[in-house]
Amino acid sequence: MKFLYHLWQNFREYAFLIVLVIISLYLISINTSPQIQKLRAMIFSTFAVVNSFFNDTIDSENLKEEVENLRLTNAELMLQLSRLRKDMILIDNLKNSLSLKDTFKFKLISSQIISRFNNLNQETITINDGKKNGVEIGMPVINDRGLVGVVFSVSDNYAIIKTLRNSDLNLTVKSEKTGEQGVLKWKSGNLRIINVPKTYQIKKGDRIVISELSTIVPVIVPVGYANSIENIEKGIFNEIIVNTLVDFNNLEYVFIVPIVASKEVRNLELNFLKKLQ
Amino acid sequence: MRYSYFIPFLILVPVIIFQSVFVPLISFDNIAPDLILLLLVYYTINNNQFFGMSAGFIFGGICDLIFGTILGSMMVTKTISGFIAGYFSSENKRDIYLSNLNFTLIILLVSFIDNTIFSFFSSFDLSSNFIVNMFVKNIANSIYTAFVGLLFISIIPKRRTFE
Repeated sequence: MKFLYHLWQNFREYAFLIVLVIISLYLISINTSPQIQKLRAMIFSTFAVVNSFFNDTIDSENLKEEVENLRLTNAELMLQLSRLRKDMILIDNLKNSLSLKDTFKFKLISSQIISRFNNLNQETITINDGKKNGVEIGMPVINDRGLVGVVFSVSDNYAIIKTLRNSDLNLTVKSEKTGEQGVLKWKSGNLRIINVPKTYQIKKGDRIVISELSTIVPVIVPVGYANSIENIEKGIFNEIIVNTLVDFNNLEYVFIVPIVASKEVRNLELNFLKKLQ
Repeated sequence: MRYSYFIPFLILVPVIIFQSVFVPLISFDNIAPDLILLLLVYYTINNNQFFGMSAGFIFGGICDLIFGTILGSMMVTKTISGFIAGYFSSENKRDIYLSNLNFTLIILLVSFIDNTIFSFFSSFDLSSNFIVNMFVKNIANSIYTAFVGLLFISIIPKRRTFE
């Protein structure tokens, strides 16, 4: 008994540490359970209310600069619009002649970022729109430049988004030029297309977009440009480093595309099964 | 029951707000100071190792839930950080450890370990590039946190701590 008492006296800190680490590891293993998601949504939505207040205070100070930038963007957009109008007429004519339907009819949900968690591997942002505004888990998030991330957790009025700079988010992408597919992942502090066969023809400057095969993002949106190829000398596969189109450091507003890939696929599959029965 | 044990948990709320709203404004390429770690180390030195581990566990859990990281990943890193910081909580040497230089070095050490463990849990990959990149970025992150720690400890009155 005395021995056990001495053992406890000498190693109680280590025992306590081991217990806490085991609990943490257990929680990691049940991270995606619905109960945890519910708890997470409840806590972060409570906190987001406070964050939102402080964020609004900062925003009012940056408003003047932002208005100036928006004016400039408006002018640039006006020039683009006039060019696009001309192209649209041509596209409509072509579509009519081919009898194709317009596939992009989503009404985007505009949101403001109220807080952000900067981390080397797991960047997340919180936005001020939630279930009440039609936001659902899995919806893609974009801005005027390209893909920002995917909705990860939702409460009534707020949502957490996993950005492209989050190692948990793996997306199927393709080169717009060559059509070659790959898996895009945040790794080693860079956005990379991993396990790229050495025969692929993707070159520096090629535009990378979401692939039609992606089960997470169901719309084709640009992601970035191929910057460099790594692992050329060694290994079976190459890795392509991608520069994002979105400037994550100055991100303030985002748009949510109100469509969930898995739901769409599930509905299609169910319809297909019903037909077979 | 020491009421001072609850003070860090009350301070945690404004610190998390500061971390999520203001710190992104002073971050460069995802390298940002970890104010939650600063708070944890400071109060662990002022209390003891058990307090450090418990506070780290709770701080980590709250951060995981609020920031949307894998639940348990920050819990385990902050618990270990609290454990390490606890080695500097000796009552006789507290004033020495809370001096500017020593506190900065403690933050540097704990922050580096914290970042490394968190990288390990959040994206497990053992390619050479990963290790080099993580090592460099972790050091940059730790230095930034230590620098903020130096500012923090410089402005806190030496005699009267937050107890």
